[in-house]
Amino acid sequence: MSVKYVPVQWNVFKFLYDFALLVIIMGFLWVFVHIIPDQLTYDPSITPQIQNMRAFGSCAFFLLTAILVIGPLARIDRRFLPLLYNRRHLGVLTCFVAFSHASFVIRWYFVFSPTDRYVALFGTNTAYNQLLGFPFESFGIFALLCLIILATTSHDFWLKFLTPRIWKSLHYLIYPAYAAVVAHIGLGTLQDQPVSIFGFLVVLCVALVVGLHLMARRCELETTDSSALHRVDAYWHALFPVQEIEEGYARVARIDTGDRIAVFLHNGKLSAISNACAHQNGPLGEGKIIDCFVTCPWHGFQYDVTNGRSPAPFTEKIATYQIRVREGIVEVDERANPPGTPVEPLNVEKEDSV
Amino acid sequence: MVAETLVFLIQVWLGVGALVAGAFLLIGIGQVDEDAHGAFAFRPLLIPGILVIWPLVIWRWWVVSTGRDINRHIKAAPRRSHGIVTILLMIILVGTLLISFAIHQERSINIAPVKLDMS
Repeated sequence: MSVKYVPVQWNVFKFLYDFALLVIIMGFLWVFVHIIPDQLTYDPSITPQIQNMRAFGSCAFFLLTAILVIGPLARIDRRFLPLLYNRRHLGVLTCFVAFSHASFVIRWYFVFSPTDRYVALFGTNTAYNQLLGFPFESFGIFALLCLIILATTSHDFWLKFLTPRIWKSLHYLIYPAYAAVVAHIGLGTLQDQPVSIFGFLVVLCVALVVGLHLMARRCELETTDSSALHRVDAYWHALFPVQEIEEGYARVARIDTGDRIAVFLHNGKLSAISNACAHQNGPLGEGKIIDCFVTCPWHGFQYDVTNGRSPAPFTEKIATYQIRVREGIVEVDERANPPGTPVEPLNVEKEDSV
Repeated sequence: MVAETLVFLIQVWLGVGALVAGAFLLIGIGQVDEDAHGAFAFRPLLIPGILVIWPLVIWRWWVVSTGRDINRHIKAAPRRSHGIVTILLMIILVGTLLISFAIHQERSINIAPVKLDMS
């Protein structure tokens, strides 16, 4: 949450997070360059330059896998939330590692030729009409471009300037980037050597990403079960019994417009806000209310549940919703109020209130 | 020829991006975001992003500065598509790995050279 932009909003946790990341990355590279060559027999044997190239490439792949599993892990088990908190720094570091990999490639394979190295990169292999020998470099270039876009637009300014919808859509590029990296490896280095432990690790990482995303999806559907929901008229939806909401917490509903709505119970009164945090769309409904403010479990942004506004001097706003209770069932109007619109909390003890 | 054209287009793209970055960071950013007033240290961090997505920057600059940014629905996140994206990713990843292993050709290490009979 910021009033005036700064390059990086450092705090102790971020320092520790980044320090741990650097130690892990440097440790991985050291092991890959100094330990692994003696453990593996490459066919054909490779030069130290290629070994460095593979070290950075492998590191980027594992980091990208980590980025993709942190999200679903945090959805499945809240103890992983601290890993999510500073994930953008992990993304930026991954981009640097991938860039180093590309730099090694260009400065080794394309440097001993009178042809411009970048022209050679795009023009050396053009066998796009066959799978065996397919120009796997193009997948790597595409993935690197995606990572550059993600890293260079990770500052909070971009989220506000582009709007959460565009920013989030842009950052969906992490998925095609990962698919491209898997294709880059699968049609590249995996074809260059006998199936090795690296091939096994690639399969394991992909299985992890796919499995955890499926599990998280299932968890999300269970916690926002829409099977009992139904429209009561043109705009109003019946959600769930009031008794199912715990004091100080929310219950989240996904109505058939696709919107997720968090209905909070605070001091015996109900308030409904969008479940998506204005920052990075974190699940506000999984936060707890303290002094009328709910805290996003992802990055700590806070909102007053009665008006969807962050406490001053912060300026973030999210949509609020009109709700009512009929025969003990919470109902919501699908027409979201403009972000930051105050809505009088609903006393649940009043039967059939509107 | 295609590769040379591609490299040239990339250079043009980055060149135009540099011009947009200069104009936006000196003039536009103050028009589109009040939180950027008086904040200068973070602006160089935006340069790489502008170089890459400058058409989007120009479009948003125009939309915000002309007051057309009034559609509140655009601020909603596209979370409803997340499930579809997950399923698509699964299919593509599994398919890619299957293809990779299907076309893989095993080779023996250290194959002894064979002298060809040229007679």
